[in-house]
Amino acid sequence: MRHCFIVPLLLWSLGAFAAGTEYVMRVDGLACPFCAYGIEKRLKTIEGVEKIDVDLDKGLVRVNVREDVELAEPRMLQLFKDAGFTYRSMTKTPL
Amino acid sequence: MKKQRMDRQSLCKASPLSFIQLLLLTLVLFWTSQVIAAPITFNTALPVAKGEFVAREHLVVNQSGDDPSGTKRDRTEVASVTALGYGITGRLALFGVLPYRDIDLDMSSGGQPVTRSNRGFGDLSLFARYTTFQYDQPGRTFRVAPFAGVKAPTGEDDARDSLGALPASVQSGSGSWDYFGGLVMTYQTLGYQIDGQLSYRTNGEANRFEAGDITRLDGSLQYRLNRGQPTGGTPAFLYGVIEANLVQQQKDRIAGHADPNSGGTRLFLTPGIQYVTKRWILEAAVQLPVVQDLNGTALENDYIFRTGVRFNF
Repeated sequence: MRHCFIVPLLLWSLGAFAAGTEYVMRVDGLACPFCAYGIEKRLKTIEGVEKIDVDLDKGLVRVNVREDVELAEPRMLQLFKDAGFTYRSMTKTPL
Repeated sequence: MKKQRMDRQSLCKASPLSFIQLLLLTLVLFWTSQVIAAPITFNTALPVAKGEFVAREHLVVNQSGDDPSGTKRDRTEVASVTALGYGITGRLALFGVLPYRDIDLDMSSGGQPVTRSNRGFGDLSLFARYTTFQYDQPGRTFRVAPFAGVKAPTGEDDARDSLGALPASVQSGSGSWDYFGGLVMTYQTLGYQIDGQLSYRTNGEANRFEAGDITRLDGSLQYRLNRGQPTGGTPAFLYGVIEANLVQQQKDRIAGHADPNSGGTRLFLTPGIQYVTKRWILEAAVQLPVVQDLNGTALENDYIFRTGVRFNF
């Protein structure tokens, strides 16, 4: 009977483990589609990045990564600087 | 009638290269990436990302006529201009520009019509641009970037035909080392973009001929025509473009003496259209001369038509 609870719990936790983390970053200076692709291209070089969405209207870059991947602020600061834009802040949400 | 004939001649002669280049570019578009929204007739201060390339291919038709000298000069140039940019850092970019030129000059000599023609690669321009000021806000940016460069005499400057050496206006290269620099500014928002550029080019001497130095003031407004409700993501932008180009050229010098029939001031108004996606840009514009205050019998421009694509890889 106990197994009936443990197995689903394990499956749920594995699913949660695979879901990863969503980073939402505010980036200033983005005002044209080309900017989005340049940023996407750089983010894609990071191991563990699974999904990238640039919202031009809101000036937000959403990045989904694997659970074991951390997007550190200093790294993001440099990444957006190299792309020619200004990183401002980020929020981190478990998926 | 004569102009129509010249246009056909030039376009037919230029078409094999232009067609192949355009075909290659069309293929390249399927696997290349980002582009820069920018003015059509001059540069922008927007960035080229570090380690990234930006390419641009333009077809330019430059038609001149209305000869006040009585020799019925009519000049048509069809050029395929290839430009490549590379980001050294997020602020510093290097650019190279190489034209392939097909030039025809019709004129009357001794009462007989004469055509002088030439084609080949022109002079290679190399320049650097550095963003000295950058102010970013959500959905907008303002940038200022000085630039400086050199034009190397890579094109042929001593071409001849059965009548002898071709005049400088028909040579594909100038034969001289020329230097240029200036300042470009860009203010870009999600709804529109404004660019301005001031530049100066000092031309060197070759074959006892020195083209007059050129001062230019350019402005561009790109207004987004398809901006509706916020859509999220990265939608394509359709811009209506209007540009103005004020060009002042000093008199040419031949064997050290100023040519009184050269140089002057031109003002072009340039309507155009630009379609910008995440992966490529298509654009077209026509430069229409609204003021031509030229010296002596200098040849007037009829129009300059530009169309092309841009992409990154």
